Amino acid sequence: MFDAPSFETLPDERLPSGAVIDGELLDRCLEEAFDYVVVGSGAAGAVAAHVLVESGASVVIVEEGPWVRTREFDGRVYAAFKRMFRDAGAQVIEGRAYVPLLQGRCVGGSTVMNSAIVHRTPEDVLEEWRLRFGLGQTVNARALEPHFDALERELNARVVGDEALGDNNRLFLEEAPPRGIPARRMLRYERGCRGSGQCLTGCPTGAKQAMNVTYVPWALARGARLVCSCRVERILVEAGRACGVLARTVLGAAAPSHRRAQRVVLRARRAVVVAASTVQTPNLLRRSGLRASAVGRHFQCHPGYAIAGLFDRPVEINFGVTQGAEAVHLRRSDRIKLETLGMPPELAAARIPGVGRDLMRRFGAFSHLAIWAVVVRAEAEGEVGRGWGGRDKVRWQPSRIDVERARRGAAMLARLLFQAGAREVWPGLHGLPSSLRSIDDVGLIERVPADPRLFGFIASHLFGAARMGTDPRSSVVGTDFQCHEVAGLYVVDSSVFPTNLGVNPQHSIMAISRLAATQILAGGTRLNVAA
Amino acid sequence: MKLASFECRWAEAVLGAIFPGSPEEGLAGIGSMNVVVFLGDVMRSLPRRAALGMRLAIWLVSLSPLLLIGRLALFAGLTVADRERVLHRLATSRRYGLRSLVLLLKTIGALLYASDDRVRARMRGASTPLPVVRLRRLEVEGAHGA
Repeated sequence: MFDAPSFETLPDERLPSGAVIDGELLDRCLEEAFDYVVVGSGAAGAVAAHVLVESGASVVIVEEGPWVRTREFDGRVYAAFKRMFRDAGAQVIEGRAYVPLLQGRCVGGSTVMNSAIVHRTPEDVLEEWRLRFGLGQTVNARALEPHFDALERELNARVVGDEALGDNNRLFLEEAPPRGIPARRMLRYERGCRGSGQCLTGCPTGAKQAMNVTYVPWALARGARLVCSCRVERILVEAGRACGVLARTVLGAAAPSHRRAQRVVLRARRAVVVAASTVQTPNLLRRSGLRASAVGRHFQCHPGYAIAGLFDRPVEINFGVTQGAEAVHLRRSDRIKLETLGMPPELAAARIPGVGRDLMRRFGAFSHLAIWAVVVRAEAEGEVGRGWGGRDKVRWQPSRIDVERARRGAAMLARLLFQAGAREVWPGLHGLPSSLRSIDDVGLIERVPADPRLFGFIASHLFGAARMGTDPRSSVVGTDFQCHEVAGLYVVDSSVFPTNLGVNPQHSIMAISRLAATQILAGGTRLNVAA
Repeated sequence: MKLASFECRWAEAVLGAIFPGSPEEGLAGIGSMNVVVFLGDVMRSLPRRAALGMRLAIWLVSLSPLLLIGRLALFAGLTVADRERVLHRLATSRRYGLRSLVLLLKTIGALLYASDDRVRARMRGASTPLPVVRLRRLEVEGAHGA
């Protein structure tokens, strides 16, 4: 494992005085006015706020979670789950199977715990959006190109270097191409990555160019304000126009017992920009009185499924970028993507098959494991609603064909692991032996019923639920990113995506948010509700 | 939500059976870690529904020996081998709900177990433990007469 070096100053420590209001420490109500109120500080919110403040406007970012600083990242999963993940990492999608759903709830959002993978929106996806949803005028390759260019430049997108590759990634890169799988190194946002293998629990060196060390501090340096640990309860609407947000501070577990949550009103002179994520945005819109039937519908995701191979030599998945190699050649034809996946020991211990002595024996071989994953561009759609106690509830289940695709990818990976020299493959599929010992056993995977309850899926990429479109009956926002129902209310996160992508979405989310913010500045806002 | 002390004891027994440790692998058991304090913190941090699932899982596993191996005993009253047998049956049950509850306990236990410094140190190096050093008694001249 990795010992973090000590730096003089990290980007999340060089902040202008008074730029950050920590809701956990706020002991009075707060009411202030800005030109723009941005809800959410993840990939979409941070980028939008940066564009807006660069124009000279006054901007405030409101973030529900705390700001956990780089120096506090210690590589422990439980500490990260508790402080930085929504529902302490216990959030699940409900359907025939429970699918864990990992979402950030901290300054920087999910970019703090993802692998910072860069993929431009595939052109066939943009074409589908043009043909099926009429988005060609706004969201097209030409319009997005300058934004992708700017993001890649500003966040230093670069191919994973040898110094941070690690053997889990290297093995995939060496073994896949001779077997007809065109593997390649991933493109990532990073400056000086040393392969700590801790992407999931927060980069301990600040090398990963997540929003907490880039666009959020950059926006603050240009005059934006940030209110963190503060949950937006609803958007304030007057005469059909968004004019601010009503929020309440969130007290952490360590807050003194006498402290009470405070009411925060942030007025927006020009617009409210929502970037609260695919799960939270639709419910925020509902709480704010939006009644469009498309709110919460058409939720999509990329279910992922990992498979482990046991080698005679150490692989050390704890060293190297968490995800550094991939194969995307089957994205269009089979809607699957193959990739490597480093895993901290806590998650490995939970996913390794067995209990008791069997589990201990397997876990003892942790350093000899390679873990690779298949990610499916699932066709199934689900719904984001309100559940027990007013919590966000996501209902979704993969279709039979989605599961079959995952199964095909799993079989490909199992075969590849054996070809790469694995002594055993642990498929983690209910109903199969927990260890496959020969490449001849891979056929067993292909015969597993296409039932999601037999697979251990995890969902991380989320889309839809506040779709963009031209028809207010089937979409929530128009092609100008403005809600059909409320003027001056914009949605710029991946909830506006009409479909999923089949590739890691952070780059698309940021580029589309950047495009949206540019349009908000250029185009002005409707004065009232669309007829 | 808070676990009663008897529920904590039940949970300790279950997690102890899932992560018993292994001298051969050089792994400490979860029993040597502060399970009760950890569980208290988990129950405070989890959303109410997940905490309820956790409590349900503890009860279910604790009361399951009668149904699974025909023994009128709590899980904590079983031998080590029987505990493992019960857990294995639950973890491989045809019923998805039962499997999921065991997975929930295993996941929560893993967050404590694999964050322990000794376990993490063990994960750094080669998985084959170093051979045990043999100690030889040195015959020291005159020692018998002391």
